[in-house]
Amino acid sequence: MSMNHESVRARLSALIDGALPAREAADVETHLRDCTPCRADLAQMRATVRVLREVEPVQVPEGFAAGVRGRIERLPHGAAPWSRWRVAWPSIRWSWKAAAAAASVALVAIFAANLAREMMPASRLPKAVEGDRARGGDRRDASNAETNSRVNRQAPLAAPRSSMEASGQQAVPGTEPTFDRKVIRSGEIAVEVEKFDDAARRLLSIAEAAGGFIADSAYDESGGVPRGTFVVRVPANRFGDAVRQVEQLGTVQRRHITGQDVTEEFIDLDARVRNLERQEARLLTFMDRATKIPDLMAVQQEVSRVRGEIERLRGRMRFLANRVDLATIQAEVSQKPKKRSGGFWDFDRTIGRIQAAFLNTVREMLEAVEGIAAFAAAILPLVVLGALGWGVLRRTIRRADRPV
Amino acid sequence: MEKLATEDERNLIKRSCAGDVSAFESLVLAHQDRVYNLTYRITGNHEDAADAAQDAFVRAYQALSRFRGESSLSTWLHRVATNAALDLVRRRPDAPPVELPADQPAHDDPAAEVHRREVSRRVHAAVGRLPAEYRVVVVLRDFQGLAYEEIAKILQIPIGTVRSRLSRGREALRELLMDLVAAEG
Repeated sequence: MSMNHESVRARLSALIDGALPAREAADVETHLRDCTPCRADLAQMRATVRVLREVEPVQVPEGFAAGVRGRIERLPHGAAPWSRWRVAWPSIRWSWKAAAAAASVALVAIFAANLAREMMPASRLPKAVEGDRARGGDRRDASNAETNSRVNRQAPLAAPRSSMEASGQQAVPGTEPTFDRKVIRSGEIAVEVEKFDDAARRLLSIAEAAGGFIADSAYDESGGVPRGTFVVRVPANRFGDAVRQVEQLGTVQRRHITGQDVTEEFIDLDARVRNLERQEARLLTFMDRATKIPDLMAVQQEVSRVRGEIERLRGRMRFLANRVDLATIQAEVSQKPKKRSGGFWDFDRTIGRIQAAFLNTVREMLEAVEGIAAFAAAILPLVVLGALGWGVLRRTIRRADRPV
Repeated sequence: MEKLATEDERNLIKRSCAGDVSAFESLVLAHQDRVYNLTYRITGNHEDAADAAQDAFVRAYQALSRFRGESSLSTWLHRVATNAALDLVRRRPDAPPVELPADQPAHDDPAAEVHRREVSRRVHAAVGRLPAEYRVVVVLRDFQGLAYEEIAKILQIPIGTVRSRLSRGREALRELLMDLVAAEG
Protein backbone atom coordinates (compact mmCIF):
# COMPACT_ATOMS: atom_id res chain seq x y z
CA MET A 1 0.00 0.00 0.00
CA SER A 2 1.38 3.36 -0.92
CA MET A 3 0.90 6.46 1.17
CA ASN A 4 0.50 10.00 -0.03
CA HIS A 5 2.93 12.72 0.96
CA GLU A 6 0.60 14.24 3.50
CA SER A 7 0.10 11.14 5.58
CA VAL A 8 3.79 10.31 5.33
CA ARG A 9 4.71 13.77 6.60
CA ALA A 10 2.30 13.42 9.49
CA ARG A 11 4.15 10.28 10.51
CA LEU A 12 7.75 11.46 10.24
CA SER A 13 7.82 12.70 13.79
CA ALA A 14 6.70 9.36 15.20
CA LEU A 15 9.01 7.51 12.81
CA ILE A 16 12.01 9.29 14.30
CA ASP A 17 10.97 8.12 17.75
CA GLY A 18 10.27 4.60 16.56
CA ALA A 19 6.74 5.10 17.81
CA LEU A 20 4.88 3.99 14.69
CA PRO A 21 3.08 0.67 14.46
CA ALA A 22 5.26 -1.74 12.44
CA ARG A 23 3.04 -1.75 9.36
CA GLU A 24 2.74 2.00 9.16
CA ALA A 25 6.48 2.33 9.63
CA ALA A 26 7.07 -0.07 6.74
CA ASP A 27 4.65 1.85 4.51
CA VAL A 28 6.34 5.13 5.34
CA GLU A 29 9.78 3.66 4.64
CA THR A 30 8.56 2.35 1.31
CA HIS A 31 7.29 5.78 0.36
CA LEU A 32 10.48 7.46 1.50
CA ARG A 33 12.64 5.27 -0.69
CA ASP A 34 11.06 6.78 -3.81
CA CYS A 35 10.24 10.27 -2.62
CA THR A 36 13.02 12.80 -2.40
CA PRO A 37 10.99 15.72 -0.98
CA CYS A 38 9.69 13.54 1.84
CA ARG A 39 13.22 12.36 2.58
CA ALA A 40 14.24 15.99 2.85
CA ASP A 41 11.39 16.58 5.24
CA LEU A 42 12.54 13.67 7.35
CA ALA A 43 16.05 15.09 7.52
CA GLN A 44 14.72 18.45 8.59
CA MET A 45 12.52 16.89 11.22
CA ARG A 46 15.51 14.99 12.56
CA ALA A 47 17.52 18.19 12.66
CA THR A 48 14.73 20.02 14.46
CA VAL A 49 14.52 17.36 17.14
CA ARG A 50 18.29 17.42 17.49
CA VAL A 51 18.24 21.18 17.96
CA LEU A 52 15.58 20.86 20.64
CA ARG A 53 17.47 18.14 22.48
CA GLU A 54 20.75 19.97 22.43
CA VAL A 55 19.32 22.75 24.55
CA GLU A 56 20.78 22.42 28.00
CA PRO A 57 18.56 22.13 31.03
CA VAL A 58 18.15 25.15 33.28
CA GLN A 59 19.17 25.27 36.91
CA VAL A 60 16.77 25.20 39.77
CA PRO A 61 16.87 28.47 41.72
CA GLU A 62 18.73 28.43 45.01
CA GLY A 63 16.71 27.33 48.00
CA PHE A 64 13.90 25.85 45.94
CA ALA A 65 13.48 22.75 48.10
CA ALA A 66 13.60 24.85 51.25
CA GLY A 67 10.84 27.01 49.82
CA VAL A 68 8.71 23.96 49.19
CA ARG A 69 9.37 22.78 52.74
CA GLY A 70 8.39 26.15 54.10
CA ARG A 71 5.10 26.11 52.26
CA ILE A 72 4.37 22.60 53.41
CA GLU A 73 5.06 23.53 57.01
CA ARG A 74 2.77 26.55 56.71
CA LEU A 75 -0.06 24.32 55.54
CA PRO A 76 -2.99 24.37 57.94
CA HIS A 77 -2.99 21.48 60.37
CA GLY A 78 -5.25 18.65 59.50
CA ALA A 79 -4.39 18.80 55.85
CA ALA A 80 -2.16 15.78 56.02
CA PRO A 81 -4.59 13.66 58.04
CA TRP A 82 -7.35 14.53 55.63
CA SER A 83 -5.25 13.61 52.69
CA ARG A 84 -4.32 10.38 54.39
CA TRP A 85 -7.96 9.73 55.05
CA ARG A 86 -8.57 10.03 51.33
CA VAL A 87 -6.53 6.91 50.72
CA ALA A 88 -9.45 4.81 51.75
CA TRP A 89 -11.54 6.13 48.93
CA PRO A 90 -11.64 3.65 46.05
CA SER A 91 -9.80 4.75 42.99
CA ILE A 92 -12.74 4.44 40.62
CA ARG A 93 -12.40 7.15 38.06
CA TRP A 94 -15.88 8.56 37.94
CA SER A 95 -17.08 9.63 34.59
CA TRP A 96 -20.26 9.59 32.59
CA LYS A 97 -19.20 6.25 31.21
CA ALA A 98 -18.77 4.76 34.64
CA ALA A 99 -22.08 6.17 35.79
CA ALA A 100 -23.85 4.82 32.70
CA ALA A 101 -22.25 1.43 33.21
CA ALA A 102 -23.36 1.34 36.84
CA ALA A 103 -26.87 2.38 35.87
CA SER A 104 -27.13 -0.25 33.18
CA VAL A 105 -25.88 -2.95 35.54
CA ALA A 106 -28.55 -1.92 38.03
CA LEU A 107 -31.23 -1.96 35.33
CA VAL A 108 -30.18 -5.36 34.06
CA ALA A 109 -30.28 -6.69 37.61
CA ILE A 110 -33.76 -5.35 38.15
CA PHE A 111 -35.01 -6.72 34.84
CA ALA A 112 -33.46 -10.07 35.57
CA ALA A 113 -35.11 -10.18 38.97
CA ASN A 114 -38.46 -9.32 37.45
CA LEU A 115 -38.08 -11.82 34.66
CA ALA A 116 -37.13 -14.49 37.13
CA ARG A 117 -40.17 -13.69 39.23
CA GLU A 118 -42.32 -14.08 36.12
CA MET A 119 -40.82 -17.38 35.17
CA MET A 120 -40.08 -19.12 38.40
CA PRO A 121 -43.28 -19.35 40.37
CA ALA A 122 -44.53 -22.42 38.46
CA SER A 123 -42.95 -24.65 41.05
CA ARG A 124 -44.22 -22.96 44.16
CA LEU A 125 -47.28 -20.93 43.32
CA PRO A 126 -50.06 -23.52 43.27
CA LYS A 127 -50.84 -23.00 46.96
CA ALA A 128 -51.07 -19.25 46.62
CA VAL A 129 -53.15 -19.43 43.46
CA GLU A 130 -55.43 -21.91 45.13
CA GLY A 131 -55.87 -19.51 47.99
CA ASP A 132 -56.64 -16.71 45.59
CA ARG A 133 -59.19 -18.79 43.80
CA ALA A 134 -60.84 -19.71 47.05
CA ARG A 135 -61.00 -16.09 48.03
CA GLY A 136 -62.31 -15.23 44.57
CA GLY A 137 -65.04 -17.78 44.99
CA ASP A 138 -66.04 -16.36 48.32
CA ARG A 139 -66.07 -12.93 46.86
CA ARG A 140 -68.37 -14.06 44.13
CA ASP A 141 -70.70 -15.48 46.74
CA ALA A 142 -70.54 -12.29 48.67
CA SER A 143 -71.50 -10.22 45.65
CA ASN A 144 -74.39 -12.55 45.05
CA ALA A 145 -75.52 -12.00 48.58
CA GLU A 146 -75.44 -8.31 47.90
CA THR A 147 -77.61 -8.48 44.80
CA ASN A 148 -79.90 -10.83 46.62
CA SER A 149 -80.43 -8.50 49.51
CA ARG A 150 -81.07 -5.69 47.08
CA VAL A 151 -83.75 -7.74 45.37
CA ASN A 152 -85.08 -8.57 48.80
CA ARG A 153 -85.56 -4.93 49.60
CA GLN A 154 -87.45 -4.36 46.39
CA ALA A 155 -89.57 -7.45 46.84
CA PRO A 156 -92.35 -5.92 48.96
CA LEU A 157 -93.07 -3.43 46.19
CA ALA A 158 -93.42 -6.12 43.59
CA ALA A 159 -95.62 -8.26 45.78
CA PRO A 160 -98.04 -6.33 47.91
CA ARG A 161 -98.62 -7.83 51.32
CA SER A 162 -102.41 -8.00 51.09
CA SER A 163 -102.51 -10.24 48.07
CA MET A 164 -99.74 -12.36 49.52
CA GLU A 165 -101.86 -13.08 52.56
CA ALA A 166 -104.75 -14.00 50.32
CA SER A 167 -103.17 -16.86 48.51
CA GLY A 168 -99.44 -16.99 49.02
CA GLN A 169 -99.51 -19.45 51.85
CA GLN A 170 -99.85 -22.67 50.00
CA ALA A 171 -98.02 -21.43 46.90
CA VAL A 172 -94.86 -23.18 47.94
CA PRO A 173 -95.41 -25.99 50.31
CA GLY A 174 -93.02 -26.08 53.20
CA THR A 175 -91.50 -22.65 52.69
CA GLU A 176 -92.50 -19.24 53.84
CA PRO A 177 -93.21 -17.04 50.84
CA THR A 178 -91.27 -14.20 52.41
CA PHE A 179 -89.21 -13.64 49.26
CA ASP A 180 -85.83 -13.41 50.78
CA ARG A 181 -83.10 -14.17 48.39
CA LYS A 182 -83.75 -17.10 46.17
CA VAL A 183 -80.43 -18.29 44.96
CA ILE A 184 -79.64 -21.57 43.33
CA ARG A 185 -76.18 -22.39 44.45
CA SER A 186 -74.20 -24.95 42.59
CA GLY A 187 -70.63 -25.96 42.34
CA GLU A 188 -68.51 -28.12 40.10
CA ILE A 189 -65.41 -29.48 41.66
CA ALA A 190 -62.86 -31.80 40.15
CA VAL A 191 -60.58 -33.48 42.65
CA GLU A 192 -57.84 -35.98 42.26
CA VAL A 193 -57.69 -38.39 45.17
CA GLU A 194 -55.36 -41.09 46.34
CA LYS A 195 -58.01 -43.81 46.59
CA PHE A 196 -61.24 -43.62 44.76
CA ASP A 197 -63.23 -45.91 47.07
CA ASP A 198 -62.30 -43.99 50.18
CA ALA A 199 -63.27 -40.75 48.49
CA ALA A 200 -66.64 -42.15 47.47
CA ARG A 201 -67.36 -43.25 51.04
CA ARG A 202 -66.33 -39.92 52.47
CA LEU A 203 -68.43 -38.11 49.91
CA LEU A 204 -71.47 -40.01 51.14
CA SER A 205 -70.75 -39.13 54.75
CA ILE A 206 -70.22 -35.50 53.80
CA ALA A 207 -73.65 -35.43 52.16
CA GLU A 208 -75.33 -37.11 55.11
CA ALA A 209 -73.60 -35.05 57.75
CA ALA A 210 -74.81 -31.91 56.01
CA GLY A 211 -78.36 -33.26 55.96
CA GLY A 212 -78.21 -33.90 52.25
CA PHE A 213 -77.90 -36.85 49.95
CA ILE A 214 -76.20 -38.11 46.88
CA ALA A 215 -78.60 -37.53 44.05
CA ASP A 216 -76.64 -39.23 41.36
CA SER A 217 -73.44 -41.10 40.96
CA ALA A 218 -71.65 -42.55 38.01
CA TYR A 219 -68.56 -44.67 37.99
CA ASP A 220 -66.13 -45.49 35.24
CA GLU A 221 -62.86 -47.34 35.16
CA SER A 222 -62.34 -47.60 31.43
CA GLY A 223 -59.16 -45.58 31.38
CA GLY A 224 -57.45 -47.82 33.87
CA VAL A 225 -57.92 -45.17 36.49
CA PRO A 226 -61.20 -45.14 38.40
CA ARG A 227 -63.14 -41.93 38.09
CA GLY A 228 -66.67 -40.99 38.92
CA THR A 229 -69.12 -38.13 39.04
CA PHE A 230 -71.25 -37.58 42.10
CA VAL A 231 -74.09 -35.12 42.41
CA VAL A 232 -74.39 -34.15 46.03
CA ARG A 233 -77.37 -32.17 47.24
CA VAL A 234 -77.07 -30.38 50.54
CA PRO A 235 -79.18 -27.73 52.26
CA ALA A 236 -78.22 -24.32 50.96
CA ASN A 237 -76.88 -23.13 54.31
CA ARG A 238 -74.44 -26.04 54.42
CA PHE A 239 -73.19 -25.48 50.90
CA GLY A 240 -69.96 -23.70 51.84
CA ASP A 241 -68.99 -26.35 54.39
CA ALA A 242 -69.73 -29.13 51.97
CA VAL A 243 -67.65 -27.55 49.21
CA ARG A 244 -64.72 -27.23 51.56
CA GLN A 245 -65.02 -30.81 52.67
CA VAL A 246 -65.22 -32.08 49.12
CA GLU A 247 -62.11 -30.09 48.28
CA GLN A 248 -60.28 -31.73 51.13
CA LEU A 249 -60.72 -35.11 49.52
CA GLY A 250 -57.67 -34.55 47.38
CA THR A 251 -56.03 -32.12 45.02
CA VAL A 252 -58.46 -29.68 43.49
CA GLN A 253 -58.03 -29.52 39.76
CA ARG A 254 -61.00 -27.50 38.72
CA ARG A 255 -63.66 -25.62 40.54
CA HIS A 256 -66.59 -23.61 39.39
CA ILE A 257 -69.11 -22.15 41.76
CA THR A 258 -72.19 -20.27 40.68
CA GLY A 259 -75.09 -18.65 42.39
CA GLN A 260 -78.07 -18.15 40.13
CA ASP A 261 -80.45 -15.55 41.48
CA VAL A 262 -84.06 -16.59 40.77
CA THR A 263 -85.82 -14.19 43.11
CA GLU A 264 -87.44 -12.26 40.29
CA GLU A 265 -88.64 -15.33 38.50
CA PHE A 266 -90.05 -16.53 41.79
CA ILE A 267 -91.93 -13.30 42.40
CA ASP A 268 -93.23 -13.36 38.88
CA LEU A 269 -94.43 -16.92 39.19
CA ASP A 270 -96.11 -16.14 42.49
CA ALA A 271 -97.98 -13.17 41.05
CA ARG A 272 -99.16 -15.13 38.04
CA VAL A 273 -100.36 -17.97 40.25
CA ARG A 274 -102.39 -15.58 42.40
CA ASN A 275 -103.85 -13.97 39.30
CA LEU A 276 -104.93 -17.30 37.94
CA GLU A 277 -106.40 -18.27 41.30
CA ARG A 278 -108.54 -15.15 41.36
CA GLN A 279 -109.63 -15.94 37.82
CA GLU A 280 -110.47 -19.47 38.91
CA ALA A 281 -112.51 -18.18 41.83
CA ARG A 282 -114.52 -15.92 39.50
CA LEU A 283 -115.07 -18.76 37.07
CA LEU A 284 -116.34 -20.92 39.87
CA THR A 285 -118.96 -18.29 40.82
CA PHE A 286 -119.99 -18.16 37.15
CA MET A 287 -120.35 -21.89 37.23
CA ASP A 288 -122.63 -21.67 40.23
CA ARG A 289 -124.84 -19.18 38.43
CA ALA A 290 -124.79 -20.94 35.10
CA THR A 291 -128.15 -22.40 34.04
CA LYS A 292 -127.62 -23.58 30.54
CA ILE A 293 -125.62 -26.69 29.93
CA PRO A 294 -123.46 -25.19 27.14
CA ASP A 295 -122.53 -22.30 29.41
CA LEU A 296 -121.72 -24.70 32.15
CA MET A 297 -119.56 -26.73 29.81
CA ALA A 298 -117.67 -23.67 28.60
CA VAL A 299 -117.01 -22.45 32.10
CA GLN A 300 -115.96 -25.91 33.21
CA GLN A 301 -113.46 -26.08 30.35
CA GLU A 302 -112.01 -22.68 31.23
CA VAL A 303 -111.72 -23.63 34.90
CA SER A 304 -109.74 -26.72 34.13
CA ARG A 305 -107.44 -24.81 31.78
CA VAL A 306 -106.74 -22.23 34.51
CA ARG A 307 -106.27 -24.96 37.07
CA GLY A 308 -103.78 -26.71 34.78
CA GLU A 309 -101.85 -23.50 34.34
CA ILE A 310 -101.79 -22.93 38.09
CA GLU A 311 -100.44 -26.39 38.66
CA ARG A 312 -97.78 -25.92 36.03
CA LEU A 313 -96.58 -22.66 37.54
CA ARG A 314 -96.65 -24.13 41.03
CA GLY A 315 -94.63 -27.03 39.79
CA ARG A 316 -92.04 -24.64 38.46
CA MET A 317 -92.00 -22.81 41.79
CA ARG A 318 -91.59 -26.06 43.67
CA PHE A 319 -88.72 -26.96 41.40
CA LEU A 320 -87.02 -23.65 41.97
CA ALA A 321 -87.61 -23.82 45.71
CA ASN A 322 -86.11 -27.25 45.77
CA ARG A 323 -83.10 -26.02 43.88
CA VAL A 324 -82.77 -23.05 46.18
CA ASP A 325 -83.14 -25.05 49.33
CA LEU A 326 -80.84 -27.77 48.26
CA ALA A 327 -77.61 -26.66 46.73
CA THR A 328 -75.97 -28.91 44.20
CA ILE A 329 -72.37 -29.98 44.20
CA GLN A 330 -71.15 -31.92 41.25
CA ALA A 331 -68.00 -33.66 42.29
CA GLU A 332 -65.80 -35.23 39.67
CA VAL A 333 -63.55 -37.57 41.50
CA SER A 334 -60.62 -39.23 39.84
CA GLN A 335 -57.93 -41.36 41.29
CA LYS A 336 -54.36 -40.23 40.91
CA PRO A 337 -52.78 -42.18 38.06
CA LYS A 338 -50.49 -44.79 39.49
CA LYS A 339 -46.91 -44.12 38.55
CA ARG A 340 -45.72 -46.82 36.22
CA SER A 341 -43.11 -47.89 38.71
CA GLY A 342 -43.14 -51.24 36.97
CA GLY A 343 -40.36 -52.93 38.89
CA PHE A 344 -37.03 -52.12 40.41
CA TRP A 345 -36.76 -48.33 40.17
CA ASP A 346 -39.20 -45.49 39.70
CA PHE A 347 -37.40 -43.27 37.23
CA ASP A 348 -40.22 -40.78 36.87
CA ARG A 349 -40.05 -40.06 40.54
CA THR A 350 -36.28 -39.63 40.39
CA ILE A 351 -36.53 -37.21 37.50
CA GLY A 352 -39.28 -35.32 39.26
CA ARG A 353 -37.17 -34.97 42.38
CA ILE A 354 -34.11 -33.87 40.43
CA GLN A 355 -36.17 -31.29 38.60
CA ALA A 356 -37.70 -30.01 41.80
CA ALA A 357 -34.34 -29.79 43.52
CA PHE A 358 -32.81 -27.93 40.59
CA LEU A 359 -35.67 -25.47 40.34
CA ASN A 360 -35.55 -24.96 44.06
CA THR A 361 -31.92 -24.01 43.99
CA VAL A 362 -32.38 -21.67 41.06
CA ARG A 363 -35.32 -20.10 42.79
CA GLU A 364 -33.42 -19.57 45.99
CA MET A 365 -30.53 -18.01 44.10
CA LEU A 366 -32.89 -15.66 42.33
CA GLU A 367 -34.54 -14.82 45.60
CA ALA A 368 -31.14 -13.94 47.00
CA VAL A 369 -30.46 -11.70 44.00
CA GLU A 370 -33.84 -10.16 44.39
CA GLY A 371 -33.11 -9.49 48.02
CA ILE A 372 -29.83 -7.85 47.17
CA ALA A 373 -31.47 -5.74 44.48
CA ALA A 374 -34.21 -4.70 46.87
CA PHE A 375 -31.64 -3.83 49.51
CA ALA A 376 -29.61 -1.83 47.00
CA ALA A 377 -32.75 0.01 45.94
CA ALA A 378 -33.53 0.72 49.57
CA ILE A 379 -30.14 2.22 50.37
CA LEU A 380 -29.68 3.98 47.03
CA PRO A 381 -31.22 7.27 48.21
CA LEU A 382 -29.02 7.18 51.30
CA VAL A 383 -25.95 6.55 49.18
CA VAL A 384 -26.82 9.46 46.90
CA LEU A 385 -27.37 11.73 49.87
CA GLY A 386 -24.18 10.53 51.48
CA ALA A 387 -22.18 11.07 48.31
CA LEU A 388 -23.56 14.58 47.96
CA GLY A 389 -22.76 15.39 51.55
CA TRP A 390 -19.32 13.91 51.21
CA GLY A 391 -18.67 15.92 48.07
CA VAL A 392 -19.68 19.15 49.77
CA LEU A 393 -17.59 18.30 52.81
CA ARG A 394 -14.57 17.48 50.70
CA ARG A 395 -14.91 20.65 48.70
CA THR A 396 -15.02 22.71 51.89
CA ILE A 397 -11.97 20.97 53.23
CA ARG A 398 -10.11 21.35 49.96
CA ARG A 399 -10.79 25.04 50.00
CA ALA A 400 -9.62 25.26 53.56
CA ASP A 401 -6.30 23.58 52.96
CA ARG A 402 -5.49 25.03 49.56
CA PRO A 403 -2.07 26.52 50.03
CA VAL A 404 -1.61 30.28 49.67
CA MET B 1 20.60 15.85 41.67
CA GLU B 2 21.40 12.24 42.34
CA LYS B 3 18.93 9.50 41.48
CA LEU B 4 17.38 7.60 44.33
CA ALA B 5 17.21 3.84 44.47
CA THR B 6 13.66 2.56 44.17
CA GLU B 7 13.82 1.09 47.65
CA ASP B 8 14.92 4.37 49.20
CA GLU B 9 12.28 6.24 47.28
CA ARG B 10 9.52 3.93 48.48
CA ASN B 11 10.73 4.33 52.01
CA LEU B 12 10.77 8.11 51.71
CA ILE B 13 7.27 8.11 50.26
CA LYS B 14 6.02 6.06 53.19
CA ARG B 15 7.60 8.43 55.69
CA SER B 16 6.29 11.48 53.85
CA CYS B 17 2.79 10.06 53.96
CA ALA B 18 3.17 9.80 57.70
CA GLY B 19 3.95 13.52 57.79
CA ASP B 20 7.78 13.44 57.77
CA VAL B 21 8.61 16.70 56.00
CA SER B 22 12.34 15.97 55.89
CA ALA B 23 11.70 12.76 54.01
CA PHE B 24 9.61 14.66 51.54
CA GLU B 25 12.34 17.26 51.18
CA SER B 26 14.69 14.49 50.08
CA LEU B 27 12.19 13.56 47.40
CA VAL B 28 11.99 17.19 46.34
CA LEU B 29 15.75 17.41 46.05
CA ALA B 30 15.83 14.27 43.95
CA HIS B 31 13.18 15.45 41.50
CA GLN B 32 13.35 19.24 41.55
CA ASP B 33 15.57 19.56 38.47
CA ARG B 34 13.29 17.68 36.17
CA VAL B 35 10.16 19.22 37.60
CA TYR B 36 11.60 22.71 37.40
CA ASN B 37 12.73 22.29 33.80
CA LEU B 38 9.28 21.03 32.91
CA THR B 39 7.47 23.98 34.45
CA TYR B 40 10.04 26.37 33.03
CA ARG B 41 9.48 25.19 29.46
CA ILE B 42 5.73 25.20 29.84
CA THR B 43 5.41 28.58 31.57
CA GLY B 44 8.29 30.20 29.71
CA ASN B 45 9.81 32.22 32.56
CA HIS B 46 11.57 31.55 35.84
CA GLU B 47 9.14 33.28 38.11
CA ASP B 48 6.15 31.28 36.92
CA ALA B 49 8.28 28.17 36.69
CA ALA B 50 9.25 28.44 40.35
CA ASP B 51 5.66 29.09 41.37
CA ALA B 52 4.34 26.19 39.35
CA ALA B 53 7.05 23.82 40.56
CA GLN B 54 6.39 24.74 44.18
CA ASP B 55 2.67 24.34 43.67
CA ALA B 56 3.36 20.96 42.14
CA PHE B 57 5.40 19.73 45.08
CA VAL B 58 2.93 21.03 47.64
CA ARG B 59 0.07 19.35 45.79
CA ALA B 60 2.14 16.21 45.53
CA TYR B 61 2.76 16.25 49.26
CA GLN B 62 -0.93 16.60 49.98
CA ALA B 63 -1.92 13.89 47.55
CA LEU B 64 1.03 11.58 48.12
CA SER B 65 -1.14 9.05 49.92
CA ARG B 66 -3.08 8.66 46.69
CA PHE B 67 0.07 7.78 44.82
CA ARG B 68 -0.11 4.04 44.48
CA GLY B 69 3.04 3.31 42.59
CA GLU B 70 1.24 2.29 39.42
CA SER B 71 3.64 4.51 37.56
CA SER B 72 7.00 5.80 38.73
CA LEU B 73 7.05 8.70 41.15
CA SER B 74 8.80 10.73 38.46
CA THR B 75 5.97 10.20 35.97
CA TRP B 76 3.43 11.00 38.64
CA LEU B 77 5.26 14.20 39.55
CA HIS B 78 5.37 15.11 35.88
CA ARG B 79 1.65 14.84 35.78
CA VAL B 80 1.13 16.97 38.86
CA ALA B 81 3.67 19.53 37.62
CA THR B 82 2.24 19.67 34.11
CA ASN B 83 -1.17 20.39 35.55
CA ALA B 84 0.22 23.00 37.93
CA ALA B 85 2.09 24.72 35.09
CA LEU B 86 -0.90 24.63 32.75
CA ASP B 87 -3.10 26.01 35.54
CA LEU B 88 -0.70 28.88 35.89
CA VAL B 89 -0.45 29.48 32.14
CA ARG B 90 -4.22 29.51 31.80
CA ARG B 91 -4.61 31.93 34.70
CA ARG B 92 -2.03 34.22 33.22
CA PRO B 93 -3.71 37.13 31.46
CA ASP B 94 -1.32 37.83 28.58
CA ALA B 95 1.10 36.14 26.28
CA PRO B 96 3.85 34.36 28.19
CA PRO B 97 6.73 36.60 29.15
CA VAL B 98 9.49 34.45 27.76
CA GLU B 99 12.85 35.14 29.32
CA LEU B 100 16.37 33.96 28.84
CA PRO B 101 17.63 30.92 30.58
CA ALA B 102 19.83 32.17 33.39
CA ASP B 103 22.80 30.82 35.27
CA GLN B 104 24.26 28.80 32.45
CA PRO B 105 27.56 27.20 33.40
CA ALA B 106 30.46 28.90 31.66
CA HIS B 107 32.27 27.23 28.80
CA ASP B 108 35.78 27.64 27.58
CA ASP B 109 35.17 28.89 24.09
CA PRO B 110 33.51 32.33 24.22
CA ALA B 111 32.31 32.17 20.58
CA ALA B 112 30.69 28.77 21.01
CA GLU B 113 29.22 29.99 24.26
CA VAL B 114 27.60 32.94 22.51
CA HIS B 115 26.21 30.71 19.78
CA ARG B 116 24.90 28.20 22.29
CA ARG B 117 23.13 30.91 24.23
CA GLU B 118 21.60 32.24 21.04
CA VAL B 119 20.27 28.81 20.05
CA SER B 120 18.95 28.26 23.54
CA ARG B 121 17.16 31.60 23.53
CA ARG B 122 15.67 31.03 20.08
CA VAL B 123 14.46 27.55 20.92
CA HIS B 124 12.97 28.68 24.18
CA ALA B 125 11.16 31.56 22.51
CA ALA B 126 9.88 29.30 19.75
CA VAL B 127 8.57 26.73 22.22
CA GLY B 128 6.87 29.56 24.08
CA ARG B 129 4.99 30.51 20.93
CA LEU B 130 3.45 27.09 20.46
CA PRO B 131 -0.14 26.56 21.54
CA ALA B 132 -0.10 25.14 25.06
CA GLU B 133 -1.32 21.68 24.13
CA TYR B 134 1.43 21.20 21.51
CA ARG B 135 4.02 22.82 23.75
CA VAL B 136 3.32 20.43 26.61
CA VAL B 137 3.79 17.38 24.41
CA VAL B 138 7.01 18.69 22.85
CA VAL B 139 8.40 19.61 26.27
CA LEU B 140 7.58 16.22 27.74
CA ARG B 141 9.07 14.38 24.77
CA ASP B 142 12.07 16.40 23.60
CA PHE B 143 13.10 18.23 26.76
CA GLN B 144 12.10 15.73 29.41
CA GLY B 145 12.70 12.69 27.22
CA LEU B 146 9.57 10.78 28.24
CA ALA B 147 8.14 7.88 26.24
CA TYR B 148 4.87 8.25 24.32
CA GLU B 149 3.12 5.95 26.76
CA GLU B 150 4.17 8.05 29.73
CA ILE B 151 3.04 11.24 28.00
CA ALA B 152 -0.32 9.68 27.25
CA LYS B 153 -0.65 8.72 30.91
CA ILE B 154 0.40 12.12 32.18
CA LEU B 155 -1.96 14.06 29.93
CA GLN B 156 -4.67 11.40 29.99
CA ILE B 157 -4.98 11.38 26.24
CA PRO B 158 -4.74 8.51 23.75
CA ILE B 159 -1.33 7.66 22.38
CA GLY B 160 -2.47 8.57 18.85
CA THR B 161 -3.21 12.06 20.09
CA VAL B 162 0.26 12.28 21.59
CA ARG B 163 1.68 11.26 18.23
CA SER B 164 -0.27 13.84 16.23
CA ARG B 165 0.22 16.73 18.67
CA LEU B 166 3.93 16.04 18.83
CA SER B 167 4.11 15.94 15.06
CA ARG B 168 2.33 19.26 14.71
CA GLY B 169 4.39 20.85 17.48
CA ARG B 170 7.66 19.77 15.92
CA GLU B 171 6.45 20.84 12.50
CA ALA B 172 5.72 24.31 13.83
CA LEU B 173 9.10 24.46 15.57
CA ARG B 174 10.84 23.44 12.37
CA GLU B 175 9.34 26.41 10.61
CA LEU B 176 10.09 28.79 13.48
CA LEU B 177 13.67 27.60 13.71
CA MET B 178 14.28 27.04 9.99
CA ASP B 179 17.70 28.71 9.90
CA LEU B 180 18.99 26.75 12.91
CA VAL B 181 17.63 23.55 11.47
CA ALA B 182 19.29 24.23 8.14
CA ALA B 183 22.59 24.89 9.91
CA GLU B 184 22.18 21.67 11.85
CA GLY B 185 21.19 19.60 8.80
